[in-house]
Amino acid sequence: MTIEEKLALLEETMEMDEGTLKADMDLNDVDEYDSMTKLSLIVMMEDEFGVKLTSDVVRGFKTVQDILDLMK
Amino acid sequence: MVITNFKDIKISAMAAAVSNNWTALSEISDEDESVIKKFSKKTGVEGRYNAGVRQTTSDFCYAAAKAILEEKKINIDEIGVLVFVTQTADYGIPATACVLQDRLGLKKDCIAFDVNLGCSGFSYGLNIAASILKSSNSKKALLLAGDTSAKIKSQKNNNKTTHSASMLFGDSGTATLIEISESAKEINMISKTDGSGFKAIIAPYGQWRNPDDPNGKNASTMDDIAVFNFAISDVPDLLKETMKLTNSTPDNYDCLVLHQANLFIMKNVAKRTGFGMDKTLISINKFGNTSSSSLPITLVNEYGDSDEEKEIHSLMCGFGVGLSWSTVDCYINTKDILPLVHTDEYFVDGYTSEE
Repeated sequence: MTIEEKLALLEETMEMDEGTLKADMDLNDVDEYDSMTKLSLIVMMEDEFGVKLTSDVVRGFKTVQDILDLMK
Repeated sequence: MVITNFKDIKISAMAAAVSNNWTALSEISDEDESVIKKFSKKTGVEGRYNAGVRQTTSDFCYAAAKAILEEKKINIDEIGVLVFVTQTADYGIPATACVLQDRLGLKKDCIAFDVNLGCSGFSYGLNIAASILKSSNSKKALLLAGDTSAKIKSQKNNNKTTHSASMLFGDSGTATLIEISESAKEINMISKTDGSGFKAIIAPYGQWRNPDDPNGKNASTMDDIAVFNFAISDVPDLLKETMKLTNSTPDNYDCLVLHQANLFIMKNVAKRTGFGMDKTLISINKFGNTSSSSLPITLVNEYGDSDEEKEIHSLMCGFGVGLSWSTVDCYINTKDILPLVHTDEYFVDGYTSEE
């Protein structure tokens, strides 16, 4: 999956418009990244990549890139 | 796995009670409309019933029990077991079940006690009540399960410190009558506990480990992600194990009844268990997350007003605080599920003389 495809998948998961997410964005600046979106992220990561996100891992996410790094 | 099997226990009546005061989410919270809309879409909550200022869980369970006793013309002397499952009891001591034994007019020949479980409360309570009934010389048992999860204890004890805590829950109480019956269909249950997750949902203050909250609010906390991960993996696993006990598939059941934790969790659990949303009963929209009332109130919501008499085969799972979870595979006739009861009454004598 290309970076662009991963970003698009994240945008879809977070119900954001296409093209709004950038890899270097601070997650604190992404209004849509709230507690409920995190649950959608958990489901997406497991269904698409077989990756299980624990509370500690999610708490450790600071930027969009941190999430992209696990999308493999 | 701890598997429990009953061959001659019948669920012979089920009722749920709430107040007359239903409020929409928009009236409960002063959050922005867009925040409320998003919350509602994800959790499924549209509003809830609120307990009156003087009402407690036991008042709702009492009303539900009375409805059963009157509707089914039960001989009260036949009830020898009363189990009250709640995490919002009337008092520190004594057990509220003792108070209810007297209020309901049960004989003193009665086993009565409280069980401190929440989301898994009904399924565990059914196991406990049926197990005691089966091993005793009594004919009938009452399982009362409920919580005033939405209610704020007092201005000094405002434990609803996040908007989701204040918007997610609802107040209610339920009653289920079970009896010995040789013609009853089997009930199967599997029960589990994982105390390593005790901090995932916790109200740590006000008891003996941490008597005082340094912030003075007696706040409870929930690790949303830990609870979600538990719910979407352990719950489907246990439901599948339960179906295996009788070589069943989702096609063998009329409904899947899950603890109404939130809609997103329920959708994911149903999908991972192989049930469509057409069979997955939802009551969280109307009642919120009602903790130990959750499973029976969902059945009452679905079948309580039904004129059709049908024996339904139900697969249920209560899961949450503890972490504690258990499944129930059982049959109930819809004629034994009563319409929703509304009450604004409360136990006047339960208040101390200073009130």
